Amino acid sequence: MDPPAGPEDPRAASNGDNSHVPKKPKLSFITDSQILEEFAHHQPGIARINNGSFGSCPASIIAAQKSWQLRFLRQPDDFFFNHLQRQIIHSRSIIKDLINADHVDEVSIVDNATTAAAIVLQHVGWAFAEGRFQKGDAVVMLHCAFQAVKKSIEAYVTRAGGSVIVVHLPFPVNSNEEIIAEFRKGLARGRANGKKVRLAIIDHITSMPCVVIPARELVKICREEGVERVFVDAAHAIGNVHIDVKEIGADFYVSNLHKWFFCPPSVAFLYCRKSPLSHDLHHPVVSHEYGNGLAIESAWIGTRDYSSQLVIPEVFEFTNRFEGGLEGIRKRNHDKVVEMGQMLAKAWGTNLGSPPEMCPSMAMVGLPSRLGILSDDDALNLRSHLRDHFGVEVPIYYQMPRDGHIGATDGDGCVTGYARISHQVYNTLDDYVRLRDAITQLVHDGVTCKMLQRE
Amino acid sequence: MSLINGTTAINQDPDSKPKPITSWELRTEFSHHDPTVARINNGSFGCCPATIMAAQQRYQLLYLRQPDYFYFHTLKPSILRTRRLIQTLINADNVDEVSIVDNATTAAAIVLQHTTWSFFSSLFQAGDAVLILHYAYGAVKKSVQAYISRAGGHVIEVHLPFPVKSSSEIVCEFQKALQMGKANGRKIRLAIIDHITSMPSVIIPVKELVRMCRDEGVDRIFVDGAHAIGNVEIDVKDIGADFYTSNLHKWMFCPPAVAFLYCKMCDELSDLHHPVVSHEYGNGLAIESSWTGTRDYSPQLVLPEVMEFVSRFDGGIEGIMRRNHETVVEMAQMLVEAWGTELGAPPEMCSSMAMVGMPACLGITSSSDALKLRKHLRECFNVEVPIYYRASVEGEVDPTTGYARISHQVYNVVEDYYRLRDAVNKLVKDGVTCALFYK
Repeated sequence: MDPPAGPEDPRAASNGDNSHVPKKPKLSFITDSQILEEFAHHQPGIARINNGSFGSCPASIIAAQKSWQLRFLRQPDDFFFNHLQRQIIHSRSIIKDLINADHVDEVSIVDNATTAAAIVLQHVGWAFAEGRFQKGDAVVMLHCAFQAVKKSIEAYVTRAGGSVIVVHLPFPVNSNEEIIAEFRKGLARGRANGKKVRLAIIDHITSMPCVVIPARELVKICREEGVERVFVDAAHAIGNVHIDVKEIGADFYVSNLHKWFFCPPSVAFLYCRKSPLSHDLHHPVVSHEYGNGLAIESAWIGTRDYSSQLVIPEVFEFTNRFEGGLEGIRKRNHDKVVEMGQMLAKAWGTNLGSPPEMCPSMAMVGLPSRLGILSDDDALNLRSHLRDHFGVEVPIYYQMPRDGHIGATDGDGCVTGYARISHQVYNTLDDYVRLRDAITQLVHDGVTCKMLQRE
Repeated sequence: MSLINGTTAINQDPDSKPKPITSWELRTEFSHHDPTVARINNGSFGCCPATIMAAQQRYQLLYLRQPDYFYFHTLKPSILRTRRLIQTLINADNVDEVSIVDNATTAAAIVLQHTTWSFFSSLFQAGDAVLILHYAYGAVKKSVQAYISRAGGHVIEVHLPFPVKSSSEIVCEFQKALQMGKANGRKIRLAIIDHITSMPSVIIPVKELVRMCRDEGVDRIFVDGAHAIGNVEIDVKDIGADFYTSNLHKWMFCPPAVAFLYCKMCDELSDLHHPVVSHEYGNGLAIESSWTGTRDYSPQLVLPEVMEFVSRFDGGIEGIMRRNHETVVEMAQMLVEAWGTELGAPPEMCSSMAMVGMPACLGITSSSDALKLRKHLRECFNVEVPIYYRASVEGEVDPTTGYARISHQVYNVVEDYYRLRDAVNKLVKDGVTCALFYK
């Protein structure tokens, strides 16, 4: 039974002095058993190998969040007038340092990458409507862009008269050079009839299939090809790969903090490089602060629970309890997920979808062709089956065979399905062993996706 | 209405009546409120009982426990359940007409962005008008600026009288403004009418105003009922607007933040969209709104627990509304008698909030003064109450330029209002004026 919230709850400190948050150990790092405690609220018995989708939040951060929630509920007017804005600025400046932005004005906090996409794309929509962009001017996106972003492009660009150039990247992939070459080709092809490219949306880490994209190089290519503005959708990036927004050189850069940066759902930052059009970006939910700059607009979009945005200082402290801080966590996650990915590929006789250096804290592991994954529905059904019958949570990707591309094969046929495994600090070897054994069992039992089709 | 996967089932036994809430339990429900503060401002940020906070936390933990399962199996049915409850509460015909959004501010953005597209697609012409009340909420005015003015629309602001003596004054002024707005053949495409204005707070006769708008050929009508649910009766069919929004965290005991946006079903309005576009784009506003990316949707899921909570009060939510209204009027009359001032509106135009004239000698001469006075009351007397500045009109003798907007919710006690009374009396006695706050 969950402990009831209430004044007797020792974690419900209402004066916000955070005395309930464990103090930073002087010389020792967080122990394994402390890590277990921090994630004890995760459902036991589930091999949770999908940190990439919804992230995770340690118990001490949940407690810190509750503390902030109670501060608001205790005296909301005082909180609104005297504390909220100051705390959000504090969060923003921590992020600014983490991503090497020049100025805190460049950092806005929003709910999630989906919201950030709406902000950037609505801005594009206005440009079409107000005649700054002409009908037919183009926006570039990757073929594997996140579905929500694709829909946002439809809603704000296509609807406003813009056209869309879709660039296909190879998968499985062997090197950054393949990506760079394909991107260059795809962009040139799209611009063939002299189309003006107003915006390119590039993932830093694609979602499905999951690969680290050489964003800096692609941004450079965009600039060379006269693309006006570049938006890097790095939803997965912070806590997963190193981020230096100045080095990457994009105009807009977004990442979710609840995926790999231990924040509660949900919170993201949107970096907007200072430029003459900075003032023209707006949060779509317009409130009192309209016109005061995106960061200030985003800090008040009506009465909301802003607590997930306020725990960033506590999260930063949490990561410093690990050896090497966030960098250390990232590196160990990466090493482990590659190790596990290779273990699985070996056990199943398949392959990784990309080389280790293109894997972040996630890896795409080929699934045995005998499972017969032949559609997106098959992939979803297999995922449900693994959840319901084996207690394994892992997203499955269906790789549609492309004309002229064989793709990977195992001993029995074409590999058309990949498991996207994640590794976060709470994962153990047993999680991946359970996945390994589940798939092995299915193959052994002659199970195919056709048999898993729901009526 | 039991929840799956380990949460507590709500008592469905039809024979067991809800246990009436005792005054001790009521105090416990709100014991997380700062006990030193006379909290007479439920109108701004609402309140949330401990039972509901606990229910919310259960949902939050359920999600964190296994988010994939929650996403695939729990979230959508739980949101649908909330929507059905609201459909019943507001007398909507169809649950498809009910979307859940964060707050009224978001609802306004949805309706106004829809109007922007009408301008873009030349369905509306530059110069076509949107009509709002002068007392419209600040955020809504900004949204009108962002989505209407920017798109070439003309904005008509309707000035309503305050202080006000009767609904017919409002009806009369609105009629005049409608006529003037339509002068020279201008087309009014959208009217935004508050159900209960925020500052100054009065109940607007929306049903009459909506009817007038229809009679005068206004294309679409949006009622901003941010304060309404749990405060006044809402019958969206009776009111007859195309869009209606209200916050559930103000007077309906939900945690921050959750609101509904009702959109009357019709072909012209089938293409409303949530501005945060996700993969549900094109599946209807209600479905789009139920997934705007990874979020904490828990405030949207606890309405069943809230309904159980209010059923523990005599007369349920109607009883709560009635008693809040009667008590706030009683307290308001106590205050005006003590201060020698007047109410800003008659009792029948007060909801669970009332505008109480402040002594003229306090010298409230600007919005800035009002804000400083509010801050002073908070910091020196621990009294939380918003103050409204009303510009005096030429020729007024000894005008009342400041009004306290007092609220009454179930946690309030008479001492809260005595403390306000005594604080203001002390300021008057000490000859304090707002000018002193700038030193």
